[in-house]
Amino acid sequence: MKPGLAYASITELRHLLQAGDVNALQLVELYAERIARHGEISKAFISLDLEAARDKAQARQPCADATPALDGIPYACKDLFDVAGQVTTGGSKVLQGNVAERDAVAVAALNRAGAIYLGKNNLHEFAYGATGENTLYGTAPNPYDHARLAGGSSSGSAAALGFGLCAAALGTDTGGSVRAPAALCGLVGFKPTFGRVSTEGVVPYSWTLDHVGTLTRSAGDAATVFRALLPTASASGESRLEGQVVGIPRGFFFERCDSEILDSIDSLMQFLREAGARLVPIDMPSMQHTRTVSLTVQMPEALSYHNRYLEERGELYSQDFRAGLALGQCLLAEQYIRAKRFIESYRREMAVIFAGVDTILTPTTPVIAPVIGAVEVSVDGVGEPAGNAITRYTSFFNMTGHPAITLPCGMHSAGLPIGAQLIGRHHADEALLDLASRIETDYAFKLPLPDLP
Amino acid sequence: MRKIQRQTLLGIRDQMGSYAWEDAEIDELVDPKLGIITGFQDLLDQLEQLRRIDLESIPPAGDISRP
Repeated sequence: MKPGLAYASITELRHLLQAGDVNALQLVELYAERIARHGEISKAFISLDLEAARDKAQARQPCADATPALDGIPYACKDLFDVAGQVTTGGSKVLQGNVAERDAVAVAALNRAGAIYLGKNNLHEFAYGATGENTLYGTAPNPYDHARLAGGSSSGSAAALGFGLCAAALGTDTGGSVRAPAALCGLVGFKPTFGRVSTEGVVPYSWTLDHVGTLTRSAGDAATVFRALLPTASASGESRLEGQVVGIPRGFFFERCDSEILDSIDSLMQFLREAGARLVPIDMPSMQHTRTVSLTVQMPEALSYHNRYLEERGELYSQDFRAGLALGQCLLAEQYIRAKRFIESYRREMAVIFAGVDTILTPTTPVIAPVIGAVEVSVDGVGEPAGNAITRYTSFFNMTGHPAITLPCGMHSAGLPIGAQLIGRHHADEALLDLASRIETDYAFKLPLPDLP
Repeated sequence: MRKIQRQTLLGIRDQMGSYAWEDAEIDELVDPKLGIITGFQDLLDQLEQLRRIDLESIPPAGDISRP
């Protein structure tokens, strides 16, 4: 088989499958062999279902005229998604033995589109944290530097793609948990408009902020998977860069940011200008209280769900998650409601901004992948908890619910990827994906593959 | 607003139908050592600032409807 096939995009794999140059069973075997070789170090998977994957691949009936969008494409999902007959652990001891009766809506959609399920990905326990550290299943490392984090909470999903163990993965994004690990691992991470892709069959963390998202190797692949998740979606037909109005936030989204990340975003902005886009400075809502607002919504909602397990299995939760749930117990109802009203006020302010721009561009993260075990990272002499830093530029858009995508746009001198985040209007997911695909094609930034044996 | 007291949180736990958090977990909220989340007192101080902002009649956020 062609070298580098494990890192081929879905588009490339589809061409090869349709031409008969490779078959679905060979792809499953390719990833199975790599999982056997890299599974231990990548800590990407919690469980595998390779026999079922082989059976589905063998049963595949190629049909040139009406080939489903993901026919024969192997994928994985974060272990918050239910897969019928499989255990959904949430990355925790609490749910061991929790066998799902039916597929999550998103999993069922990918299966209907012909995708082949390989297994469940590792994560930060119940998605409570952006570092992806997991004492039970291990901490997924960054494929470009195994001493550093893949990022989280969809850590295993990012590691699975980064180590070449699947062609696409499903994740969840409550504060950046798809976009941040995707950016740190040199991938494309897409979070659709809030509510656009069903979260049914996914273990919730915070109903107000949870989004189902995708991790892929390209924006084109993200569009393909999105259309499989939501068959009513179609191409927007508007992917020209010329005339696009791109908002560049003043302040917060470019503050306390690694200088090489800023340089990469500057280069992308220069490309957009030369391609005919109009870049305009914008004033975003005040970010002063956004973390407080987010936490005040997250923790009571998380407690409300996990209350069903606390009495009988409470001692099985990790210490830090229990502390967060205890905090959720002590907030007042009025504080929770007020936080949700702030979210509505953020959405209204953003509606005014989006009346004047088509999209917004920011760095995805202010830092490159932190070292595993680092409690704090420091930028411009200011220390910050690693998990807070990773999601500093992403979490706001979980509150506002706008679609957002991260694309690789540079390589740091430390040998780690840099991501750019594009945010679109509500329900303009298709336009955002088409724009990202156009940038990807025309900017032609080529990330080197991780140096793996 | 005065600082939150351990006894206040123990009262919530014991008198308001709460899950039976261990004393150590209540202590963590009053005097955080894990550093995973903002110390509860810091969060309460910030929530007090939010309480003083007039949101007029803005309702809580709900679903995002199609334009």
